[in-house]
Amino acid sequence: MYINFTASNRSQSCIKLRICRMMKLTCILILLAGLQVTAKTYAQKISLKFKDAPLEDVLLNIRQQSGFDFLYTSDLLTQANPVTLNLKDASIEEALKLCVAGQPFTYQINQKTVTLTAIKVVKQQNLTVTGRVIDRTNQALPGVSIRVKGASIGTITDQEGRYRLTVPAATSVLVFSYVGYETVERTVNNQQQINVTLSEDAQALNDVVIVGYGTQRRTSVTGAVDQINAAELEGKPAMNATQALQGVSPNLIVQQRSAEPGGAINLNIRGVGTMGDNSPLVVIDGIVGGDINLLNPSDIQSVSVLKDAGSAAIYGSRSSNGVILVTTKQGSKNSGTRVTLNALTGVQVPHILYKPVQGFENAILRNEANVNAGLTPIYSPEQIRDFQSRGDEQWFLNGILKNALQQNHNVSLSGGNANSSYLVSVGYADQENNLVGQNFGLKRYNYRINMNNEYGKFKLTSILSYAKTQINDHSSSTSTLIVDAGRVPTIFKMKDEQGRYLTNEVLAEFNPLGQLEKGGYRKYDNDNLFGSLNAELAVTDFLKLRAVVGGTLTANHLFARTLRVDYYPKGTSGADRNTNDENTKNLFLNTQFLAEFNKTFAQKHAVNALLGVSNESTNNEENRLYRRFTDPELGTPITETVIDPNSSNTNQRTNESSLNSLFGRAGYSFDDKYYGQVDFRVDGSSKFSKQNRWGFFPAISAGYRISQEDFMENYRQRFGDLKIRGSYGILGNQNVGNYQFQTTYFSFQNAYAFNNSVVSGTGFNFANPDIRWERASTFNIGVDATFFKNSLTVSVDYFDKVTRDILVAPVVPGIFGTSLPDFNSAKMQNRGWEASINYRISGEQFKHQIGLNVGDSKNKVLDYGGRERISSSDEMQFIIREGLPFNSYVGLKTDGYFQNIDEVNSGPKPEGISVLPGDIRYVDVNKDGVINDRDRYVLGNAFPRFTFGVTYAVSFKNFDANIFIQGVGRRDAFIRGEMVEPYHFNYGQVMYQHQLDYWTPTNPDARYPRLAANGSQSNANNYRRGSDAYIYDASYARLKNLQIGYSLSSETAKKIGMQKLRIYASGQNLLTFSKLKFLDPENTEFNNNLSNSGANSARAYPTPIYIGMGLDVTF
Amino acid sequence: MKSIKHISWVVLLFLTAVTSCKKLDLVPTDRFTDVNYWTSTEKANSILNTAYSQMFNSSRFFLNEALSDNAYNGRGDNEGVASIASGTYDASLGRIKSEWNDHYSGIKTCNLFLDNVDRIENMDPALKARMKGEARFLRAFQYFQLMTWFGDVPLFDKDITLEESLSIGRSPRADVLAFILSELDAAIEALPVNTAYAQADRGRITKGAALGLKARVYLYEGRWQDVATTCEAIMSGNNGSYSLFNSYAGLFLPQNENNSEVLLDFQFDPVNRTYNHLFDFAPISVGARLNALAPTQELVDSYLMTNGRTINEAGSGYDAEDPYVNRDARMTATVVYHNYNWTRPDGTSKIIYIKPGTDPDETKMDEYAAGGVSSPTGYYLRKYYDPTSLTNFVSGLNLILIRYADVLLMYAEARNELGTMDESVWNQTVRALRNRAGFVDPMALNFNASLGQDGLRTAIRNERRTELAMEGLRVFDIRRWKTAEVVLNGWAHGAKYGPTSIDNGYIRANQRVFDPGKHYLWPIPRDERNLNPNLQQNPGW
Repeated sequence: MYINFTASNRSQSCIKLRICRMMKLTCILILLAGLQVTAKTYAQKISLKFKDAPLEDVLLNIRQQSGFDFLYTSDLLTQANPVTLNLKDASIEEALKLCVAGQPFTYQINQKTVTLTAIKVVKQQNLTVTGRVIDRTNQALPGVSIRVKGASIGTITDQEGRYRLTVPAATSVLVFSYVGYETVERTVNNQQQINVTLSEDAQALNDVVIVGYGTQRRTSVTGAVDQINAAELEGKPAMNATQALQGVSPNLIVQQRSAEPGGAINLNIRGVGTMGDNSPLVVIDGIVGGDINLLNPSDIQSVSVLKDAGSAAIYGSRSSNGVILVTTKQGSKNSGTRVTLNALTGVQVPHILYKPVQGFENAILRNEANVNAGLTPIYSPEQIRDFQSRGDEQWFLNGILKNALQQNHNVSLSGGNANSSYLVSVGYADQENNLVGQNFGLKRYNYRINMNNEYGKFKLTSILSYAKTQINDHSSSTSTLIVDAGRVPTIFKMKDEQGRYLTNEVLAEFNPLGQLEKGGYRKYDNDNLFGSLNAELAVTDFLKLRAVVGGTLTANHLFARTLRVDYYPKGTSGADRNTNDENTKNLFLNTQFLAEFNKTFAQKHAVNALLGVSNESTNNEENRLYRRFTDPELGTPITETVIDPNSSNTNQRTNESSLNSLFGRAGYSFDDKYYGQVDFRVDGSSKFSKQNRWGFFPAISAGYRISQEDFMENYRQRFGDLKIRGSYGILGNQNVGNYQFQTTYFSFQNAYAFNNSVVSGTGFNFANPDIRWERASTFNIGVDATFFKNSLTVSVDYFDKVTRDILVAPVVPGIFGTSLPDFNSAKMQNRGWEASINYRISGEQFKHQIGLNVGDSKNKVLDYGGRERISSSDEMQFIIREGLPFNSYVGLKTDGYFQNIDEVNSGPKPEGISVLPGDIRYVDVNKDGVINDRDRYVLGNAFPRFTFGVTYAVSFKNFDANIFIQGVGRRDAFIRGEMVEPYHFNYGQVMYQHQLDYWTPTNPDARYPRLAANGSQSNANNYRRGSDAYIYDASYARLKNLQIGYSLSSETAKKIGMQKLRIYASGQNLLTFSKLKFLDPENTEFNNNLSNSGANSARAYPTPIYIGMGLDVTF
Repeated sequence: MKSIKHISWVVLLFLTAVTSCKKLDLVPTDRFTDVNYWTSTEKANSILNTAYSQMFNSSRFFLNEALSDNAYNGRGDNEGVASIASGTYDASLGRIKSEWNDHYSGIKTCNLFLDNVDRIENMDPALKARMKGEARFLRAFQYFQLMTWFGDVPLFDKDITLEESLSIGRSPRADVLAFILSELDAAIEALPVNTAYAQADRGRITKGAALGLKARVYLYEGRWQDVATTCEAIMSGNNGSYSLFNSYAGLFLPQNENNSEVLLDFQFDPVNRTYNHLFDFAPISVGARLNALAPTQELVDSYLMTNGRTINEAGSGYDAEDPYVNRDARMTATVVYHNYNWTRPDGTSKIIYIKPGTDPDETKMDEYAAGGVSSPTGYYLRKYYDPTSLTNFVSGLNLILIRYADVLLMYAEARNELGTMDESVWNQTVRALRNRAGFVDPMALNFNASLGQDGLRTAIRNERRTELAMEGLRVFDIRRWKTAEVVLNGWAHGAKYGPTSIDNGYIRANQRVFDPGKHYLWPIPRDERNLNPNLQQNPGW
């Protein structure tokens, strides 16, 4: 029952009653904020003089003086203490304050009503909640935003993830949010401590995704963008970011031809879209064209992969191969200093899959091969017995390999205050080479400082990073050393007791151990400085202006010496005693101006627009000094020293290019349900003539979040979010050489000699004056869906890209007499799909996360001017033909073996060749009775199909494990040389164990034909023809990385002065499943353009197995 | 707050200033464009130098010998010669394509020169005429090589466009031949004799070189009267001064480069323009790494005994167990055989042990061993070994393409075919060569009319084989004589180190196949025909 003191009329009291009811229901009457705002509005002066008076009397007096109404429950005043006070001309507030001082209740003023409420409620209003926010690995999360739902109260967590927040009521709901993590809501319910574990969520709907020249919320993305976060790169013993990216994003294909430290890596997005360079554009912190491999992988915050026109068109003429946006880590504002230390050290164990047969077996087999070829046996029975009794020497290939250490260390320091934040990091990576010798390997030093400063509406981001890469390489060629070492049978010694390097009948003039230990070196010392300054001015809350200047200064240096090594009993290498220097200086500058508009009208119409201009210019200068016959010890010039004519001055190796651009984006979304976006870029490039210089690259994209429709309410409740998106646009490619539109004449030394005196000659490069951009029409459609409260996310995309005007050097007939530069002459289609599925399940003890990504692409040459081109590299032949995938393997198709003399007599044979039982029989395609060129089949394709990556992360209490499997579902590898052909051309004199499955009358279904020595007709039949006998199934699944970790509980960590401590074991390439058993199926014979330098003939540096231990500490 | 606003504008302005648009018209710094190239004699000469460099190919100079019965390429398939010699090739063979392409590259350089040289102002007309003569010779030489391998080939005397190159057909061989001959006539007209060149110009095309090539063209056509006439023009001394050099072995030594016997050579420089093919041809124990070109037993057998008889002739005195004694000294200057005394650059000598089980040194590097790196025939190459070569046989020794001995042999062959061989011609030619080779026995030197035309033909052909062995000419001779189908079918042999049950113990090195129905001409390269539908294929391919 309420007692109402009122001087007002009845209708007013009705209103007040309603207020009272609300009070009872919610215990909250008025917001604190309201109090502050309205307090000053009462000017009424009150004078009071009471001594030990009942409160009710006092209040009545105040009411009379002020005209304010009072509202309170009847039993409230029974608890009141008597009041003593003496006031003159005080405000009502002062009066009330004195009245309630020491009383078990408090008051509130709302307009002209004073409400008294019991103090118990007052205490609840000021409830203070504390707690800690951690992630799934029990790491503290600093900078997490905690807001009271529906109120403007909030805070962020400190470095230890702790927070303290006073909430207005026990029923308040706290909202915990953090970029890249799921947002969590918790009702206070009178709890004084609320600890929260946030789950990382790359797919979270409210995630911010980094896109070209800006960011977008995940829900509003209409293009095909995949974002990889730092967590997915952590703990892997990757020497560079590209290696760490392998398998983590669908259709982001990473391949290596050799695993050697510093070896080139192919990076490809969505397959082969052009016949030229298929490398994606790399953008680092907004600056186009950085070197991703020079980054310290620990500095990376996120990597966005822009795959379609909708996302990439804003990069216009360079975007058709996709774009990789790398964003580095920043410090957080309002956070204390945080020091993070990562250390990972391990050993790389060389892993050779092919093995030689024993020395005496090899002798028997060579005899067999010779006899089968009608030649005399090579070894006598005595010799063979002797080999057997002496036992085997160390195989040369084993003798030049060793276990090698690899270390990756990183220290970073970050923090910030209200207006600025910083991150400073230092990284060190050291990968020793598995080859023996003089400490060969790669070292990289990284330094970075990222600063953010805000001055009101002005924001300045400055980034400076420096990378030094030092590679110490031997003076020879690794592929030569590997293949030659493998060719020596185990009857030969590499070094004698006197320390002399021995040559033998296989390696007659040098020995790889001597080369490695004494033959000299190539020392690369490369400096790379990256800087960018990004100034942003918020003109209004919806318009921002941005200016960016950034660039890279590269100064690379190579110093190389070849030392003379003499072998025993004969042979010399490095007789030229070269001393070489190469210097390269490259300056890349990128400047951008952008205006960004972002506004939501009537709460439902969100509009954004971006307009920018930019220039990119590159200047590359090189000089080279090569000297021969220098001093054998010092490498300095002496009497007989000559300067090699391949030396060059700076003006001979200067390259400049420039690109001016105008670009923009306009997006509109309605009610977070319908999205539309237009992107464009206009580029003008110095690589093309005036007439063909400018290109326009537009794209449109749209998204429909169908789950937001009312009629989908049921679906949304039961499953989750569902979005369909699509895009179409024209993308460009200008990955071509400079100056190709002009015919040029260049001079070269030592063209010819008259009277023993050399003269220079002139060569010429013919022009293509009509050269212009490649244009790829790219269509993409995708679906994003979440299930089970976002614990399962699924993304599926389909794409279809048709590239026209592909820049490719035309097939020029020999009679034209020279080659031609690239012409816009081909058309190719590339279609494919990709899917990624992530599932997360958290129990009390176990937390699981499973990620699967899989993608496929298939290309087809649509137009090649009605012509076809067959290129070959030894026996390997590949074809460009309309209707076939680019550079498909062609060759003869085998049809088993001739099993007996009747089959030999009746079967088709290659021209001019007589065969015997056990030799390969080929399919006579045109049935003319002869096997020749006209019997070619299309045998397969080298580009990986169905690439996949699977990640399974599990944590149990303080333990965590991470399993990463990566692989290729289909790939045809052409492998040749001694791996396939025993005693290949007599270059190799070893047979390997996998070749023992060769044809004999009792082994008619063997993998390999009968043994027949080089020079025989059988050998020519079996091996001199490119056929599917050389094609191997190189699909594989590989346990790429396995990590098992243990973290101290946060309490224990704190006791030893740390926030976090995790110790873990990491293994790389631990297990491989493949039908290809004798070579690493991951090694490709092609580069990123599907061009090659020969088929895979087991010359690659062996892919090592890595086992290491790591430590992550945060202070 | 205000000052901050100012700072922000200053920063923006600064950024604007440094980003003024870079111009897009960039030109290369190290090369000329078509607009500014044809402006001086020096630049024109530089193009001509390029044309000289394309005249021949040192690797093919040697390896072409393995296309014949003189040698075997037993390791790899260098320049495709192993495939071609064994008859296991087709139109896709790399050598076929590269041979074709290389000649047309050379032709392009010559055409560019001839099409543009007149754009140069104020050029000395006499010099221009000479340079044009050099270019026309070089172009004719390219067409001659093309015609010899392929028969009918596309013929043009101006630089062609890409479109033309995709549709042009093969000109009849007769037209190509007529063009070569008329171009050589023009070159003979324009070029100076060898003695008229300054010393620094030694190596340039001379009137004599053009006549020598013309003689060779006629020889390959079997136009004997024309061969004789052309050779006489050279031998007369009116078109340059030529004679046999006094030492056969010395002919191929660096100190005797540009000697009186040289009509045309492919020139090198000892430091900056070199080759090192002998690294794969010479004996292993003197520094070669392996053997990829091995003389055959058939070549060794063709050398006469010092008494002028062939080894199979009655009374020759040949002993198959001691086969290298009393033989034509030119064999020792050409082929390395068992117990060969190899003289090193420093004057010391090394005995080359080839017969299995004879080498006192444990390493036995040169001993014949089936399947090893040593020679698969038991013979190595000596000719063109440069004692001044650097490590690994890096040498700048000029490779002689036409020499006076060849002219004499052409003349002898022509006169015999014409039926006008007589003692004076014999003495002028074969006798002179045998004299120079060191024969003293009158049996070897004197003209033997009783041999008759056929017998003399055999003798002259054999003389040609041994005199010019390992100089890349044998393959053309056996093809024009149409004897390739005889000598290139069956086994190529090595020394007598094999099992006696097979071929009397002579090593079976390589089985050869030569199909006279098609192998006398190479196929038109597959890739060319794929591009140009108007290129017809040769018969049988």
